[in-house]
Amino acid sequence: MDERAFTRVTEEYARRLYAVAVRMLGNRADAEDAVQRALLKCFAARASYSPRWAVSTWLYRSLTNVCIDELRRRRVRDETTAVDPEAASPAVHARATRRGVGGAASTPPTSTDRIDLVRALDAVPREARLLLALHYVDGLGYSELAAIRGISVNTVKSQLARGKAILKQALRAGGHDGSD
Amino acid sequence: MDRTDARLRELFAVETPPGLGRRLREALRNEPATLETLLDRFHVQATERGVSRLAYGRGHDVAAGRGRRHAEQARHELGEYLGGRRTFFTVPVDLAGVGEFQERVLAEAERIPFGEVTSYSALARRIGHPQAARAVGNALGANPVPVIVPCHRVIRGDGSWGHYAFGGALKTRLLELERTTPVLIGCTSTRIVCRRGCAHEQRIGEDRRVVFASVADAGEVGYRPCKVCLPD
Repeated sequence: MDERAFTRVTEEYARRLYAVAVRMLGNRADAEDAVQRALLKCFAARASYSPRWAVSTWLYRSLTNVCIDELRRRRVRDETTAVDPEAASPAVHARATRRGVGGAASTPPTSTDRIDLVRALDAVPREARLLLALHYVDGLGYSELAAIRGISVNTVKSQLARGKAILKQALRAGGHDGSD
Repeated sequence: MDRTDARLRELFAVETPPGLGRRLREALRNEPATLETLLDRFHVQATERGVSRLAYGRGHDVAAGRGRRHAEQARHELGEYLGGRRTFFTVPVDLAGVGEFQERVLAEAERIPFGEVTSYSALARRIGHPQAARAVGNALGANPVPVIVPCHRVIRGDGSWGHYAFGGALKTRLLELERTTPVLIGCTSTRIVCRRGCAHEQRIGEDRRVVFASVADAGEVGYRPCKVCLPD
């Protein structure tokens, strides 16, 4: 894939990549940073792009790798902070605060219904949340989700079902009707 | 499609910020430089027990006998670390001549995970000397093997960097490198998850790499931890 083709692909997918990143990372600044880093990695590896992959699979694999690693750092940071409240620097604390709960801090909610949904989504485990985001942003099917995360189609189905079940349970616990 | 489906679809319809495409195109034009070009500026001293000193600037490697093997291993691992291909060091260090207090401080610094930071005062508390933040700073400042023993992961409580033997600019670049280097890599064909830098991880092809946030997350989707690098 040459540079011009890659730029065209970037323009076509930027909006969807960004939407997935916002829902994974919870704020717009980190999401844009993640999209940028993911595209830079793809750009550096553009010569080795194989047409046997769908472009979307290739881009989403790169994006999800970046987003998941950012979530790993937050997990370690949160654990460190829980044990030792002064362990993290103020800058780190500011960053964690800015993140808010599942994105409520920087994505202006339009209704309480939406806030509840964002909070409920935060209760869903990372891998399932990632699959939900990819599935609902771009309508990706089971086999492409499996290719993106390197897992079996059955695992994709069970993770999506589990994610939705936890989501509905969290909505009910929050006093919101999570029924169909 | 149930009601939750419809609500999720609506939730995920995120509005794109103005100028996103332009900013992304600019970023692609300015590919970041790799730190690996700095490798020649590092100089290793090693004894038969391990790396005894790492210097930055002018100089050359100093090692004799079995120490040469350690020096070569240190240089190799350092190159991989600076290139974002390694997140831990396996080369032994020789801290002979280092006092007991400094040894405890350096051992505690070594436990700070890749990509994380802690403060001088937090490290002082962890070694049981909560009032000794300044002494901890001095002990880290005299670290004979920076980078390998990651004293750059310790910063001031107010978020500023504090002193770094190799200079504040390099400390910034090392922390930025660690912030953008993934740690847990899974292989999509073997379904094994390794730490970045493990010999098995280095054999995984670019199109078979997936990143995980934890070993437990990887286990939930059918991956097992590598028995060689033992990720936790």
